[in-house]
Amino acid sequence: MPPRDGGRRVAVAGVGYSPVARRSGRTLEWLTLAACRAALDDAGLAPEDVDGMSSYVTTNQLLSLVKTAAVLGSPGLRWHLATVEGPTFLGGAIPAIAAVASGSAEVCIAVRSVLEAGGSYTKRPPPPVVSGDDQFTTPFGAHASPHWISLYMRRHMADFGTTEEHFAAQAIAQREFATLNEDAFFRDPLTLEDYLSARYISKPCRLLDCDYPVDASAAVIFTTEERARSLRQKPVLVESWAMGSTPTPDSYIMADMNEAGLWNASRALWERTDLRPSDVDVAGLYDGFIFSVFQWLEGLGFCGKGESGPFVAEGNTRLGGSLPVNCDGGAVNVGRTHGANHVIEVVRQLRGQSGARQRAGAKVGVSSNSMGPTGGCLLLTAE
Amino acid sequence: MGAMSTEARIPRPERTPLTKFFWDGVDEGRLLVLRCADCGFYVHWPRPECGQCPSEDLAPAEVSGRGVVYSYGVAMQAFIPAFAGKIPYILGVVELVEQPGLKLVTNIVDCDEEAVEVGMPVEVVFHEADEGLVLPYFRPAADVTKGAVDAPA
Repeated sequence: MPPRDGGRRVAVAGVGYSPVARRSGRTLEWLTLAACRAALDDAGLAPEDVDGMSSYVTTNQLLSLVKTAAVLGSPGLRWHLATVEGPTFLGGAIPAIAAVASGSAEVCIAVRSVLEAGGSYTKRPPPPVVSGDDQFTTPFGAHASPHWISLYMRRHMADFGTTEEHFAAQAIAQREFATLNEDAFFRDPLTLEDYLSARYISKPCRLLDCDYPVDASAAVIFTTEERARSLRQKPVLVESWAMGSTPTPDSYIMADMNEAGLWNASRALWERTDLRPSDVDVAGLYDGFIFSVFQWLEGLGFCGKGESGPFVAEGNTRLGGSLPVNCDGGAVNVGRTHGANHVIEVVRQLRGQSGARQRAGAKVGVSSNSMGPTGGCLLLTAE
Repeated sequence: MGAMSTEARIPRPERTPLTKFFWDGVDEGRLLVLRCADCGFYVHWPRPECGQCPSEDLAPAEVSGRGVVYSYGVAMQAFIPAFAGKIPYILGVVELVEQPGLKLVTNIVDCDEEAVEVGMPVEVVFHEADEGLVLPYFRPAADVTKGAVDAPA
C-alpha cells in the first residue's frame, strides 16, 4: 500500500547499537559513531551513502550531526535535524522517515545517544533558584521523573483499580524476555516477591519500574523501499507513523493523566493505515517507566481504557502471549536508549532475527516512545 | 541552628514579573491565581494569555484554597540534600474548587500516608518549608462538606 500522505514508501535498512555500558568512559561522539557504523554494517551500506541524519537531543548533551557525519565519512548531509522537543528517539526518527518519504534524503540515520555516567536520575540536580514552571514543582520536592510518574500511576490505580501486582506482571514479563537476550543487563528471572520487595523511589513507583541508565547510542537507518530491496537485510516497511501532543501539556497538572499526547498519536497512527490493533504481532512500548507500557496498551487500542492492568496480568504481553511486548526485555533490562531499543527490537522481530524470544511469523509490529505531554508511534510491517 | 548551606536549602522560586504575585501572596498567607478579566477563566501555571479566549487581560485573584486530591505519590528517596530531612513526604496534585482542571502541585501535610486518597477534600495551609521560604501546602479539610468541586461559574 502506498503511503497515505503521498511520497515514497520508506523502509528500515539497518539497526545498530554502540557498546552499551553502565559507565563507559566514552564520549557522546564516540558512542554515536559506533552506533552509526553498526547500523551501516547491518544494512550493508557505506558511510558515503549517508545523506541525512537526525537525533533527539537534550540541552545538556547536544550533538552535532554535521560533525558526526563528517567524521563518519559522509560526503555531506542534504538533510539534518537535531530536535530538543518530541517523543524521545522517535522525535528524531519520525522526521527522518518523512525526509526519506519526501525525497529530502535517500539514506537517513536516526540516532539517539545518551551518557548516564552518573548512573542515576540525580545527575541534573535543580539549581538553587528555579525559574519557569519548575518553580511550581521543584520547591515541593517534585523535580525528578519518578515523582512525576508516581502521580500518573496513582491516578490510574484510583480510577481503574490497577494494582501493584499488575505493574509487577509487566516487569516480570519483560524480565522473562531479558533472560533470553544476551545483551540484557538483567537476566535472572524476576518473581512477584522480588518486585514487591524492591524499594520505592516515589511510591507507588519502585526501583524496578525505572529504566536502567547507561552510556549508549542506538541508530536506525531509513531509506526508500526500492533501495532497501537491494541491501543486505530483509526490508522492514514503514506502514504508518505519528506524533501526538495535548492541549494541556504541563506534565504535572495536565487535564487527564490517563489520556494525553500518546492517545492523540495513537489515533493518528491508525487513521493512516488499514491495519488494526488486532493485526499487530509484536510491540515495543516505551518503558522509561514500566507504567508507560500500560498507557500505550490502552492508547493504541490493544485493550480498553483502564483495562491494561488485567490485560497484562492475564499474560497477553508475555513470551507466548497474544501480544508480546518489549521482547528485548525493554529499557529496564537492556538500558535506556530513550526509546530506540523499542524500534530496533521490533525490526529484528519482523526480520525473524530475535532467536529464542522470536514471535513466530511476526509480520506487523508497533513501536512507541514517550508519554505524558507527547507521544510518538511507528507501525512496521514485513512481507 | 545556623544559616543553611546553599546545598541544603530547598530551591527558591524565581520571582519573575509573571510569577511574583503568586509568591508575594503566599508570603501574606493568600493563595492567588491569575484570572481572565474577560471570560473569568483561571489560569495556572501563570501564562501571559488566557488560553480560553484571546484575552491578555489577566490579574491575580484570591481563591478559596479548597480542593480535592487529584493524585499523589510518596517521595521515599531524596535526590538532593534539601529534601533529605523531609522524606517520606507526600507529593500531591490538588484540583481547586474554583474550576474543573485548575490544579497545582503541592505537598499533603498533617496527614498519614495511609489516609491520603484520590478525591480527598483538602485545604491550603501555609508552612515555612525552610528558613525564609513559605510554601502553600494542603491538609485534609476541616469541613469535608466544602471539598466538592463547585460547578463552573
